Amino acid sequence: MIHFDNVTKVYANQNRPALDHVSVDVDKGEFVFLVGPSGSGKSTFLRLVLKEERPNNGSIHVAGKDLSKLSNFKVPHLRRRIGCVFQDFRLLPNKNVYENVAFALEVIGKPRRFIRKVVPEVIELVGLEGKAHRMPEELSGGEQQRVAMARAFVNRPMILLADEPTGNIDPATSIGIMKVLDRINRTGTTVLMATHDAAIVDSMRKRVVELEDGKIVRDQSRGVYGQAY
Amino acid sequence: MRANFIFSEVWIGLRRNLTMTIAVIVTVAVGMALLGVGLMINSQVSKLTGFWSDKVELSVYLCTKGSPFEPCKNRGAVTQEEKGTLEQTIKALPDVEQVKFENQAQAFKNFQSTESNTLLLSVTKPEDMPESFRVKLKDPEKATAVASSLKGQPGVSNVVNERDLLQSVFGFMDTLRNVALGIAILMVIAATLLIGNTVRLSAYNRRRETGIMRLVGASNIYIQLPFVLEGLIAGLIGGVLSGVILIVVKVFIFESIQTYMAAPLGWDTVAGVITGTMAVGVLICVLASFVTLRRYLRV
Repeated sequence: MIHFDNVTKVYANQNRPALDHVSVDVDKGEFVFLVGPSGSGKSTFLRLVLKEERPNNGSIHVAGKDLSKLSNFKVPHLRRRIGCVFQDFRLLPNKNVYENVAFALEVIGKPRRFIRKVVPEVIELVGLEGKAHRMPEELSGGEQQRVAMARAFVNRPMILLADEPTGNIDPATSIGIMKVLDRINRTGTTVLMATHDAAIVDSMRKRVVELEDGKIVRDQSRGVYGQAY
Repeated sequence: MRANFIFSEVWIGLRRNLTMTIAVIVTVAVGMALLGVGLMINSQVSKLTGFWSDKVELSVYLCTKGSPFEPCKNRGAVTQEEKGTLEQTIKALPDVEQVKFENQAQAFKNFQSTESNTLLLSVTKPEDMPESFRVKLKDPEKATAVASSLKGQPGVSNVVNERDLLQSVFGFMDTLRNVALGIAILMVIAATLLIGNTVRLSAYNRRRETGIMRLVGASNIYIQLPFVLEGLIAGLIGGVLSGVILIVVKVFIFESIQTYMAAPLGWDTVAGVITGTMAVGVLICVLASFVTLRRYLRV
């Protein structure tokens, strides 16, 4: 589903590569933790999957497509198959829960009838039933992140990228977030989650890919966060 | 494509930047109105030129009793005999196409219809008006030569080349047109920059929305269209206002000087000018929006 072959990324005005000859394979339906200290290249990895950045070297395949051969015109179609969740939620403050989730479908031109049917289902899936008409500021951090996950998943993407989704959330609430991610994973969606949260990684027992200074130092199925140390 | 969704986005954008939108509308309206006025003056001048080149080229004025002109001093009014020989002389000239005689009564009538000074009208009598030969030439360029050959003839008080008179009017209208077009160009530049700024502000205000749209895979057109439409709508409103200004200019200025112009500017020309300036206004707005978007809204 995601295939990195010897990928190197150097940002302009920097001599140290953000990713250094990284090769990794993620299969369909896998749940992968991307761990490592700040600046180790986790976010760069996710940005490359979305084609927000281009690699200096190596090739990237996502959902069967070679990103180097994907024209800019087709990038939006790639992104429709990838859902994204961030540490800072990125909800629209002037829209309620329902509208925030529906927005993702409206802007890709889905018919209204389809939106009316799908959005409530996804809101229920993330455990926010009965809160569809709340505004983001009326929700807790954990609930806001559930809205963001609903928005990321509402178009049934093949891949879900999560960049430290529990970074702003207390440990107890994080468990609920992880349960939702697990539920999404069980529908067949590949989940790639970058995180610092050792407790979560240890409790989930999923595949762990560890980056350090842009290099993969560990790739372990059913791994834990700090085993290498 | 969901039309109502895009239009609600456009409406939000226009409302958020209301002052900038108004600035754009006013600039476009004034700029396009000036452009239109320039075009209207232009077509008025060319109409007049066409009209007058078919008309009298030379007026050969004859002496009246007590005429102040040098050749008429120390002699009375032109005699019937002199008129006869003069007409023969003019007709004999190779460049002359047609000669018409205008008597005092006709001259007085023309004077009455064109002069607006009531004091002058009340003291002028038909006997004060000079008789004249209106001479039409085969080749208008020969006017100066013909005029000088007729100047010395007995009974002639003065020879006026009507083109010279018109030339000064045309010169004034040319200046007017150039000033209008010059200001119009400046306004177009101002409008372009203003639209650029408005779109930039709009893109900044909506960076959250556009960021999410990018993320969930909205197509470039979907992301950019609301901004371009904002420019288009502002340009369209400005264009309509400029059309209104042009109609007012036509009714109150061109119409009032029409008595002197003899070749009225038709509504069909005005309609053409309005359509043209509106198209230019809208085009400028859309292009300016599009170019700025490329810079400030990375997709």
